[in-house]
Amino acid sequence: MAERPEPADAELVHAVVARDDRGAFALLVRRHQSMVRSVLRRLAKGDHGLADDLAQETFLLAWRNLASFRHDARFSTWLYRIAFNAWLSEARKRREVLLDDPGEAPVTELADPKLPDPARLDLERAVASLPDGERAAIAACYYADLTHEEAAKALGIPLGTVKTHILRAKARLRARLGEEKP
Amino acid sequence: MMNEQANDPIERLLREDSRRAIPDQGFSVRVALALPGAPRPWLRPTLVAASAAIGSVAAWLLAPAGTSLLQGFLDLARLQSQTPSALTAIALALAMAVTAVVLVAEEN
Repeated sequence: MAERPEPADAELVHAVVARDDRGAFALLVRRHQSMVRSVLRRLAKGDHGLADDLAQETFLLAWRNLASFRHDARFSTWLYRIAFNAWLSEARKRREVLLDDPGEAPVTELADPKLPDPARLDLERAVASLPDGERAAIAACYYADLTHEEAAKALGIPLGTVKTHILRAKARLRARLGEEKP
Repeated sequence: MMNEQANDPIERLLREDSRRAIPDQGFSVRVALALPGAPRPWLRPTLVAASAAIGSVAAWLLAPAGTSLLQGFLDLARLQSQTPSALTAIALALAMAVTAVVLVAEEN
């Protein structure tokens, strides 16, 4: 007997909205928890505890607002936006966050002599050291798998700024991880 | 352009890292327990039992003087359905039937 294929996100969303189906919502959580938590881990500079608290808040907000999901974007993109806003709100409580400032410091000045051997820094720590805007762009385009256009929309910044953030972030990562060619 | 990206070690590292799944490790259960109005399995049976008890006591107290539920069922067994006791028993049976129908409808 052929196994029944996994229901699509849209079917599960419909089941939750129409029948308050908690089993369907649990399946959505299991399916997307990895993406949401890894995005938030990057945004929270590797603070896994804070990231998981924000991930829980993300899914609770999704549960409350699922009826407003219009299916005009992927469910994961909608979820990413909630996660990003949860992080933004938390970050603003602590300090001002700058997302659209591409930064003035040239990338070549970023090699910090006080840092330990760059080769020993892992990617998570290197991403954590990026400025907010660049970290948010990397989280959106790689960990949430958004296109540059989707990321610009979700982050509320111009497309050109997203591209600049990505280029600068990769240059900084290259420098931090000691892979930059001399 | 695509080849350039594919050969970029940072690009590759980011792609590989983003594909690495985070194990659930109880996270989904944590979310399920935090959902508003999470199901409490003890609540429904308690409500049904309590309302049935209150209904029975009310039926007993409001039944015409001198009637007894036991007598009512005995009357019904003897096909005497017009006595005050029998009417009380019929009313109670109807109330229980309505409760059962409501519960079955909710279950479905």
